[in-house]
Amino acid sequence: MMRREKLPQGGCKKFEADLVLYYYGECPDPERQRLEAHLSGCNGCAAFLAGLKSVLPLTVESDDPPASFWERYSREIQAKLSAADQKSSWWGRFVLFLQPWPVPVLATALVLILAVALTFTKGKWRSEEFPAEEEALIEILPLAENLEFFRTMEVLDTMDLLEAGGGVGETARRSWGGVKV
Amino acid sequence: MEMSLPTELRDEELVVLAQEGHRSAFESLVERYQRKAYRVAFDFTRDREEAKDLSQEAFLRAFVHLKGFDRRAGFYTWFYRILVNLCLDYRRRRGRISLEPLDEEAAGVARAGEAKGISSAPDHEIAGKEWSHKITAALNALPAKQRMAFILKNHQDLPIREIAKVMHTAEGTVKAHLHRAVTALRRNLAGWIEERES
Repeated sequence: MMRREKLPQGGCKKFEADLVLYYYGECPDPERQRLEAHLSGCNGCAAFLAGLKSVLPLTVESDDPPASFWERYSREIQAKLSAADQKSSWWGRFVLFLQPWPVPVLATALVLILAVALTFTKGKWRSEEFPAEEEALIEILPLAENLEFFRTMEVLDTMDLLEAGGGVGETARRSWGGVKV
Repeated sequence: MEMSLPTELRDEELVVLAQEGHRSAFESLVERYQRKAYRVAFDFTRDREEAKDLSQEAFLRAFVHLKGFDRRAGFYTWFYRILVNLCLDYRRRRGRISLEPLDEEAAGVARAGEAKGISSAPDHEIAGKEWSHKITAALNALPAKQRMAFILKNHQDLPIREIAKVMHTAEGTVKAHLHRAVTALRRNLAGWIEERES
């Protein structure tokens, strides 16, 4: 036997959501059959459904405005549409002008202008990131490092020459007190 | 560009014509849906002038944005979505109205009538007005989305599938909104219904 949770004048809590859908004809088939079987034996759920049938239609308030209201309605909406139409027409014309063929033509022209400009101004553009002096230093710095290297190499060469000429060998012998190096 | 349109044109055909710039095609759509749109807005606001303004605003927005309508959904679904959003915005602007002020307002009207010693309307008419106030207050007490789901189902008889599209949500969510709305209305109106029946 299923457990009945009583709501204020309600049906079984388990079936309540389905009963609302059933009232609106929106309960799909397997659930609908199960619900109908349950309804035949449950007075609470049957009363709940009867309550929906009596209350829910009463929540719809009838409002039937007179013909003059609808005439005014039509006049007002036409005026509003007309105003919106005029407001959008200049913009629309502009967009329409751009839409069909001028867009590819304008794009091609722009690309051509850019290509020509870049070709003729090649080498005239310089970086604006550093001032001229700093930029010159940045260019010279690697060269300076290379110069240091070459200078070291030059000293070594000179030493080789001295050694070959006996200059360094003699000096060494003097400093080691006659020991042959 | 204006032209006379056959009245039997389908929504899709009218939309295509309107998108091509025929305003009369859009006016035909307005004529076709203005009463339904007004009805939704009235159910939501319970005020004739507010309902008129809201439904007209929805048509105006639909007209302005019609070029962007891709026709994947039906026109009325798309239009209802605009209308529903406007109604929900209206609700947010106005804030939720509690049950008490309306009841007090109704009681105040009755007291004023008694003080003047006049009975301007028969008893059943007064009872009808009180009932109307009660319903309005009960509907106003619902959260906006529950109320919209309830109105679209109970008043407009839209299928739940359609309501889900209009409200841009899942069918399960619409069912939950509907169930909660009905439960709350039953709870709020139960006493009055018993009185009415007795």
